[in-house]
Amino acid sequence: MRILIVEDDEALARQMRDSLVEAGYAVDHTADGEDGHFLGDTEPYDAVVLDLGLPVLDGHSILKRWRSDGKVMPVLILTARDGWTDKVEGLDAGADDYLTKPFMMEELLARLRALIRRAAGQASATLTIGPLTLDTRSGKVSVEGKAVKLTAQEFKLLAYMMHHQGKVISRTELTEHIYDQDFDRDSNTIEVFVNRIRKKLGIEIVHTVRGLGYQLDWQGEGAGARTA
Amino acid sequence: MLARLRHFFRTLTGRLLVSAFLWSAVALTVGGFVLSAAFRSYVLQDVDERLSVLLDTLVGSSEVGPDGVLRFNRPLVDERFATPYSGLYWQVSEEGAPPFRSRSLWDFELGNVHADRVFTLHIEEAPGPDGQRLRVAERDIILPEADRIFRYQVASDLGEVQAAIERFNQLLLQALGLIMGTLTAALVLQVAYGLRPLRTIGKSLADVRAGREARLPGDWPADLQPLAAEINALIDQNEKLVARARTHVGNLAHALKTPLAVILNEADADKSTRGATVGRAARDIKSHIDHHLKRARIAGGGSGPGLPVRERLDKLAKAIAAMHRHKDIEMNVDCAPALGFDGEREDFDEMLGNLMDNAGKWSEGKVSVSVRLVEKDLPRPMLEIRVEDDGPGVAEDQWPVLFERGRRLDEHVQGTGLGLAIVRDIVDMYGGTAWPEHATLGGLAIVLRLPGKLIPS
Repeated sequence: MRILIVEDDEALARQMRDSLVEAGYAVDHTADGEDGHFLGDTEPYDAVVLDLGLPVLDGHSILKRWRSDGKVMPVLILTARDGWTDKVEGLDAGADDYLTKPFMMEELLARLRALIRRAAGQASATLTIGPLTLDTRSGKVSVEGKAVKLTAQEFKLLAYMMHHQGKVISRTELTEHIYDQDFDRDSNTIEVFVNRIRKKLGIEIVHTVRGLGYQLDWQGEGAGARTA
Repeated sequence: MLARLRHFFRTLTGRLLVSAFLWSAVALTVGGFVLSAAFRSYVLQDVDERLSVLLDTLVGSSEVGPDGVLRFNRPLVDERFATPYSGLYWQVSEEGAPPFRSRSLWDFELGNVHADRVFTLHIEEAPGPDGQRLRVAERDIILPEADRIFRYQVASDLGEVQAAIERFNQLLLQALGLIMGTLTAALVLQVAYGLRPLRTIGKSLADVRAGREARLPGDWPADLQPLAAEINALIDQNEKLVARARTHVGNLAHALKTPLAVILNEADADKSTRGATVGRAARDIKSHIDHHLKRARIAGGGSGPGLPVRERLDKLAKAIAAMHRHKDIEMNVDCAPALGFDGEREDFDEMLGNLMDNAGKWSEGKVSVSVRLVEKDLPRPMLEIRVEDDGPGVAEDQWPVLFERGRRLDEHVQGTGLGLAIVRDIVDMYGGTAWPEHATLGGLAIVLRLPGKLIPS
């Protein structure tokens, strides 16, 4: 899951970035509205944390431009103004949620998780497919109730696929969603990660769709899963 | 009574009335005296003229015969000289001899007013017979036939004249009294009419203060116009000051929030006791900021064009439905488009946002907001806004504490617990009322009564 933070306060931005990275997100940050707008317009983010009071281009305008350009990624507005008029204006401009400063990092993470899940059409905080479950709150993965230890990159990859289960996901899409923009990307590493995940899960759930990418799907116990 | 009187004299009406009354009373009194004196002197002059003519006639018709006795060569025609005590008398006297008198004097003898010789006509007052007060014309004459001095006197009773003067004075007093009465009534009317704009301006100011009007209306008498303009300018300035103060408070509070967020996050990340202490302090700061910011935001003004309620409710409903997206809440807004709220948009949003958000938190899927106009016939119509949900509701014994600060009836539903207290504060600011009821949907209904305004379509 890749997230854009547009916030001009460097300290707060660093804190959010650290927390989000720790929670397993790929994070891009910019302090400037114009830049933020460009990034949101060109990169495929899974969610945006947008501060309203920004230099150059304010948050409302950015949001309105994105929405009128047909960008539908969930946007969480961050603002010091907590009056209902401000909230209504923000949500009216196309925001999906609203968080007022100061806030708890847990609150931010919870809101983002909910936004991403909703955008992917998932209702529950625990994503399940067959015997595989991923708790988005704790970041724990288990198969048949047994915990599976994944590295940060592996977790990012699996989380993205679980949010979009059943869908065929290309390597490029995976790359775009698990790395931030500064990362030296190499789509070949995706294959390495997928293989490691397959091995760690030990069940036939990550399928390769030739020439297109990968698909997360559970055919049932007959497909070679271990029974408890 | 005395205090009230003193208070009355301190009012403009009192001052004007009392001074005008005193002035008219003095003018009328002086006028009365002058008129009375003029009449008296006119009447007396008339009497004196008649006496002088009579004296001349008396002198002209008298002669001293060869026997040295004074007699009249033709009779004096007036009957009154022959009637005793008739009020018209003559007497001719010579020193050392009994006086020669008119019959009317009967047994009375006119005394000499002047002891010395007076060869010119003198007219004085003197006592007469039967207690009469006489006007006496007196002159010493030396008749050509004899080298003797005779004192001629002609007198007339002043009784009639006095009565005439009295009657005139009576009439004058009545007339002046009537004039004074009419004048006083006219004065009261004049003062009431003249000072009416002052009372009106007072009422208009009260309307402004109560929020029924935004400014003093423009149509005043020329001498009040500058005052009205100054008052309006003062209100403008006051509003600007308040707005600036609110903006400053808001800016300060908002500027503090971002660094506060940083401090809070650092403190939370630091698991030592120092981190906990800093975190607690920062959270205290946050609650103070929230508390005062919310109150500073209450504007409480009124009488702009009126805020279109329907439009605001639709926006709020959309926003709140979005915030409770996971519950899929059906928001029903029932409000005629012409209904307006006589107040600030921020205040309206704050009240209804809190109420609808609460309803959203508790509801099982249905929230309804209905607005209607009550007390239409009063000069100030009121809006009745009902926000209800189909949630579990609140037991009636809890209702009295619903609007208390920091109260949250269920700690599991997230919220600051400040919402309803803020709603009550804003409602109070607008002179409205708020109370809970059982909702027809099954849960809790909060009803607000707020100043309304019809928006012309």
